[in-house]
Amino acid sequence: MNDPTMIPNTSFDPVLLAVISNRFDAIVREMTNTLLRAARSAVLAVARDFSCSISTADGRLLATAEGVPVHVFGSQLQAASLLEMHPERQEGDAYLHNDPYLGNSHPADQTVLVPVFFEGEHLFTAVAKAHQADCGNSIPTTYHAAAKDVYEEGSLIFPCVLVQRDFKDNEDIIRMCRKRIRVPDQWYGDYLAAIGAARIAERRMKELTAKYGRETIKAFVEAWFDYSERRTVNAIRKLPKGRLFNKTSHDPVPGILPDGIPLQVSIEVDPDSAMIDVDLRENIDCVPCGLNESMACTMANVMIGVFNSLEWDIPHNSGTFRRIRVHLRENCVVGIPKFPHSCSVATTNVGDRLVNMTQAAFAKISDGHGLAEGNTCLSAGCAVVSGDDARRANGAYINQMFLMSGGGPASSKSDGWVNYLLPVAGGLLYRDSVELDEQKYPIHVRSQRLVPDSGGAGRQRGSPGTEVVYGPRNNRMRVVIQPDGCINPPQGVQGGHAGRPASNWWIDKDGSKHQIVGLVDVSLTPGQNVVGVDGGGGGYGDPLTRDPSRVLKDVRERWVTRGTAESVYGVVLSGEAEAETLAIDMAATERRRAEIEQAARA
Amino acid sequence: MAYRIAIDTGGTFTDAVVADEAGALTIGKAPTNPAKSFEGVSGAVADAARQLGLDFADLLARSEIFIYGTTRATNAIVTGRTAKTAALFTEGFPDILVYRQGGKFNAHRLEVEYPDPYIPRSLTYEIPERIGAEGGVVKPLDEAAARRVLERLKARKVEAIAVCLLWSIANPVHEVRLGALIEEMLPGVAYTLSHRLNPILREYPRASSTAIDASLKPLMQAHMRELESELRAAGYRGDILVSASVGGVMNVKDVIERPIFMVKSGPAMAPVAGLSFAQNESLGGDVIVVDTGGTTFDVTLVQNSQVRFTRETWLGEQYTGHNIGMGSVDIRSIGAGGGSIAWIDSGGLLHVGPQSAGAKPGPVCYGQGGTEPTVTDAAVVLGYIDPKNFLGGRMTLDAAAAERALEALGKALGLGAKDAALAVFTVANEVMIKAIHEITIKEGVNPAEAALVAGGGAAGLNILPIARALDVKRVLMPRAAGAFSACGAHFSNIVTEYGASRVAYSNQFDFAGVNGTLAALDARLDEFQHGLATKDFSRYERHYFVEARYMNQNWELEVPLRKGRVETKAELDVLVEDFHNVHDRMFAVRDPYNPVECTNWKARLTAYLGHRAPPSLRSAAVGSSGAPRSRTAYFGETRAAAMSTQVLAGGEIAAGTVIKGPAIIEEPTTTLVVYPGMSARVTARGDYLVEL
Repeated sequence: MNDPTMIPNTSFDPVLLAVISNRFDAIVREMTNTLLRAARSAVLAVARDFSCSISTADGRLLATAEGVPVHVFGSQLQAASLLEMHPERQEGDAYLHNDPYLGNSHPADQTVLVPVFFEGEHLFTAVAKAHQADCGNSIPTTYHAAAKDVYEEGSLIFPCVLVQRDFKDNEDIIRMCRKRIRVPDQWYGDYLAAIGAARIAERRMKELTAKYGRETIKAFVEAWFDYSERRTVNAIRKLPKGRLFNKTSHDPVPGILPDGIPLQVSIEVDPDSAMIDVDLRENIDCVPCGLNESMACTMANVMIGVFNSLEWDIPHNSGTFRRIRVHLRENCVVGIPKFPHSCSVATTNVGDRLVNMTQAAFAKISDGHGLAEGNTCLSAGCAVVSGDDARRANGAYINQMFLMSGGGPASSKSDGWVNYLLPVAGGLLYRDSVELDEQKYPIHVRSQRLVPDSGGAGRQRGSPGTEVVYGPRNNRMRVVIQPDGCINPPQGVQGGHAGRPASNWWIDKDGSKHQIVGLVDVSLTPGQNVVGVDGGGGGYGDPLTRDPSRVLKDVRERWVTRGTAESVYGVVLSGEAEAETLAIDMAATERRRAEIEQAARA
Repeated sequence: MAYRIAIDTGGTFTDAVVADEAGALTIGKAPTNPAKSFEGVSGAVADAARQLGLDFADLLARSEIFIYGTTRATNAIVTGRTAKTAALFTEGFPDILVYRQGGKFNAHRLEVEYPDPYIPRSLTYEIPERIGAEGGVVKPLDEAAARRVLERLKARKVEAIAVCLLWSIANPVHEVRLGALIEEMLPGVAYTLSHRLNPILREYPRASSTAIDASLKPLMQAHMRELESELRAAGYRGDILVSASVGGVMNVKDVIERPIFMVKSGPAMAPVAGLSFAQNESLGGDVIVVDTGGTTFDVTLVQNSQVRFTRETWLGEQYTGHNIGMGSVDIRSIGAGGGSIAWIDSGGLLHVGPQSAGAKPGPVCYGQGGTEPTVTDAAVVLGYIDPKNFLGGRMTLDAAAAERALEALGKALGLGAKDAALAVFTVANEVMIKAIHEITIKEGVNPAEAALVAGGGAAGLNILPIARALDVKRVLMPRAAGAFSACGAHFSNIVTEYGASRVAYSNQFDFAGVNGTLAALDARLDEFQHGLATKDFSRYERHYFVEARYMNQNWELEVPLRKGRVETKAELDVLVEDFHNVHDRMFAVRDPYNPVECTNWKARLTAYLGHRAPPSLRSAAVGSSGAPRSRTAYFGETRAAAMSTQVLAGGEIAAGTVIKGPAIIEEPTTTLVVYPGMSARVTARGDYLVEL
């Protein structure tokens, strides 16, 4: 159906279309609220590292509301696997699914699937996917980058396993998890929160179907996919025809990948047939560590890059996906992973590179298209920390912190978003409260602040990154995370500069500061601290064309130092910020900008 | 005769609702003058006085209670006209107000600017000090450094200071000392200490409420003092009370100390009004209250005769606005009202709002330059609003212009003007249904079991189909719907609330500690109650709450305590069971294996103002004469059908009369459309009850 004129302009009442689509989004929001409020670990309940969605019974993604794209674009593959593996499914069932070879993102994202029946027919599948604080890996982190295969990774894998029948837990599965997942009470509470979310959706979808009738709801589904496709067609038709190519590289991983992971993408935009083809087949084979992409993540992350470059308010579902073909091959680092290669870190790192590479490719069309690159580093500010809490009879704890911010990329129209975190998250995740983290876990946060000048300069500026310093209270604490973006920082586009690279450090009791290169896996004693600095986002456009009044505001508000304003933006200021007399010296600015331009030409 | 006066100063109009001793209400209206706010107040009161056959000074002299509600605080924040405010934060944490809580609505919308913090970074200063998570002093306050910072604030002529230090809720010693230094070095400069204003865990919402409160102090203190002196000069001698965000009224002196309570001062009264009107008709204790104005649709909920509260109140949008961080009436506000604009996206889908034509240029039919069709235009096209008798005849509308605008919209949908107008209502209804859904079904309340009370000038146009879609069985539209918030103030009471954090676990419950905390809260309420001695209150009531969660959850649920202490194992078991039930209702699961963690304890005092007879609107001659009228209006599911529709003037219909739809009831400040197949009954008090 490559000819967009072939999309049926459905006879479904357009008003009812809007009504019912809103209802589905409201159901997903209700799932989200349930999971957020009921969960135990901070990674879910504070940072919201989970997503809910609804697929059709036959495995097409229907509604995602504010789901994190890397979680939800691909959840339909899990719904499809339910269909395939469980012909005996029935009302009251729930399935546990975290298998990256069967449509899941990565093993830490445990997913609850509930088939929703109406008068005996399986119509929809409610999907609640939550990044666990722990998933039973061989080391205390949900991102085991060094794992050479799934066996070393060690996560419990559930390939769409029946976990509830008649609305009751299969206690065998629960006991298995309690034996193998750290801090089992925390895990069980988080599992319950996901079950609650999916069950709430089940109730609501049954009510909705009862209200409008099964046939109307089925007709709605097709009409909604067609509408979404039509929106996508219109957006693609506005793009110029052509082939876009872009490259990037994941940082080297000492001892495992001394050259990092080179990546490339080729994108063909064809407004005539209103199709976008993304080809990743020229990339290298799977790597012997946990950085491989799962198929779901590969698809999701290039889609994110494409959608970031189209109109933002297009609904994203399987109707939209019809207009984007992603070409993958087996045993490719960004493709279809070959068992038993590990995909432990599939949602971030290489995944973030895919988003960046794709959205920055669109910026090559011309000024006004695409985006710069965003921060790719989960710094120590977002590490998984674990140990024993002396305040609570040395009870064990494990959790991923969300104390960083992650510099957002500049667009052609706006500066980067501050709480961007990572390209795969797109700013949707929440932050931790310092006080809440200190209450729940035995950590003490020394400081947390934005780093001036770290956002990539440009006509639109990348967002700065954050520096976080923290350490353990009374006992030893293990800090694990796999950063990227410390050597290859987020790039600017259309003349915009790169953001400042990320870095991680530890500080000894004597105050001496030591850089941690590659994988962060340190065990700190009280008095020692870890420092995480995430990267600034890339800039968009030539910094010499940035509106001087915006540079003035940046200096006044300490996003940019006065030195950088002069040397990079060519904006010369007079007066003093503290005296509230800071002003633009227009004549000096014009001179300075001319000098910089001349020097660049020479 | 002793009157009571309630004022609600909105952006465009000031409403005055005057109650006589029999409880009969009179509505006065006057334009708001932002430059001289007393003008609107006196104008509205004078308007009501005229209807009562009194002059302005007479009415004031014969009144005993004056309750003031205003959007001034909210507007000052929205328009950035608050005081020049500095923030003092713990060294190392200057960006609390920049970061907020993270999150945004759409991952792919990256062409938007990140919003500015409530207080600029250039006015944010770091103070060397640190308190630990259990209240220990990790780093003592560096007084010399603090003094240097305060010198700079003085030099920069800062007008207000917000102080929020990490863990001040566990040990306030450093905040207290900074407060003393401010008084010493910057006497007269307003300041707010976070632990005093809002002692809650989580630095962002606490800092945000502290910043908002401090920034409002100079302005609102001056405003309230001015109001007080103008009222006194005009001869008023009674009590002056203020409508507060907690859904009750407060003494002027308390509001001056904590002006953040004046945010949402007006809208917070809507559920109070809704509850009272519902009680008049014995509609039960579960009430959905909606208030439809020109640009927003506010929904609030009353459960078991209690107004619903929340901690998540944002000024502006969630995530990108500013969190008030205080307990306040849970108002869900969406951009949908009479002025909401209808538009079509590139895929051919119809949307209504959130953009609004506002008061200026307003809907197309206002003839003030508006070109985009709005809900009001659709109402004119469908015949729901009489262009010659809008707002009791205060304004004439251009029906032909509205028709043209809807025709243009309809072209893109393949519909005629009437059908397009119908579609606009259908979509607007859906947006409103969703807002009601958010606060009911999503919170475990079934709308089918609740009554709905509709207030606001535009509510009556479409509230009945909305109610039907939600399966609501009973809808009440008071005649006084057009001055809803000011009505609510008449039925409100003095409400004050104090909270304290004390963690207690159900498996090793610290009875002495918890009861000590509750006793301390009671002591603060005693002190407050003592300060109220100027007035005879009919009775006082105290309610106690705990915010609790399962062990290691992060978000608390509020559970009412059965009494003011938890003294025995049996009482604790009841508390735990109450928590399980609330959790099950909200989240569809319960966890019997984990202890319940109680975090915050709250005590709320209500001092009852001794309301008079149930309220009703004084009958006043309205609109044209009593002759039966009719006009053509359009109704239908998807296709508009012309129907001859009865038109009645409110206030002239005998109690008990049943009005069969299609019918339109025109009140001076609002309109009720009774759809075909429905019928409205005029209640004993003259309000309109529809049973679906």
